[in-house]
Amino acid sequence: MHNIFSRVNNVSALFSSCMMGLLVAIALSTLLFTADPKGNLNIASVKVFPMKNRRVSARKQDLAFVNFNITADLRPLFNWNTKQLFLYLEAEYANGQGAKNEVVIWDRIVRRKEDAVINVIGKNKYMFRELSSTFKNVPPAHYALKYNVMPHVGALTYGEAGRTLEAVPFPESRERVS
Amino acid sequence: MFGEELKQFQRLGFRHVLLQVLNFASVIASGLMIWKGLGLITNSESPIVVVLSGSMEPAFYRGDLLFLTNPASEKYKTGDITVYKIPGADIPIVHRVLETHDVVKKKSKRSKTALTGTGEQLLLTKGDNNEVDDIELYQGLDWLERKHIVGKVRGFLPYVGYVTIAMNDFPQLKYALLGGLGLLALVQRE
Repeated sequence: MHNIFSRVNNVSALFSSCMMGLLVAIALSTLLFTADPKGNLNIASVKVFPMKNRRVSARKQDLAFVNFNITADLRPLFNWNTKQLFLYLEAEYANGQGAKNEVVIWDRIVRRKEDAVINVIGKNKYMFRELSSTFKNVPPAHYALKYNVMPHVGALTYGEAGRTLEAVPFPESRERVS
Repeated sequence: MFGEELKQFQRLGFRHVLLQVLNFASVIASGLMIWKGLGLITNSESPIVVVLSGSMEPAFYRGDLLFLTNPASEKYKTGDITVYKIPGADIPIVHRVLETHDVVKKKSKRSKTALTGTGEQLLLTKGDNNEVDDIELYQGLDWLERKHIVGKVRGFLPYVGYVTIAMNDFPQLKYALLGGLGLLALVQRE
């Protein structure tokens, strides 16, 4: 039975098992890289304005506007199995009832090692609102810079690159003067 | 043209044909068992999914294979990539969690233990490649809840799922492949 069919069959079986072995080895090799770089996160200001946003509600609700500075060197996270880095800044707070809330206010995709030195003076990219539609009586919030390492093949890993030392309070909501 | 094969069939006899059919059935059954077993372990109705759209580019492209788990004891966090299915929508969507809000259950007279439970979580998601969050995709819902979520993406394998996309785009390929496999299983001599 050494016809063309069985030969093709054998060669493709060998090829696919070698490929699987290689992929598993690459995926496992990622576990050896345990870089945990830290950066600096600084909240410059938080402002709260009552505003109307038609996408979510017809009524006015408090929206928070956050200005922040980030400096971080995340180059150690790039190894041979890193496809990209998903970097995000989140606000964490417990509302008046003690329920935990996490809101991403800014994110960035880093695809190259050269771009992994982060130096940002920015403001929130996404709407920051509270479920109860007001930030009154909401305790101060912590902000954290987190990242998600996405591999070419294998498991996704998460980590934290920075966190505010002290909680940042929400100011009183006030009408914007224009 | 088929005379040769038919003769071979007669030579092998009826029992052999039956045996081959049985083999074929056991292959299908074990495949199904593995799939459902994986579903039980990962607590997800479909633990392996194929990416169908480009809304998570450049993280995931069409045809990439994702491995999901959905542990009941674990809460969702921002940055998690979830696969969710809105009732009424026919395909599941792979997007990243943008907001989570825990909801403290009100203490009701009927169940005083409700407060100690994990409570519900309200989620908002967004595709990395989309400009805005997914509220428009929720078909009238304001938030996602655990019951909509199929699983959380844990692992990733590129390109492999493209076979299924090709089979969906060109149904002839699917029938050709299935028919060919079936024929081979019946005719093979060993």
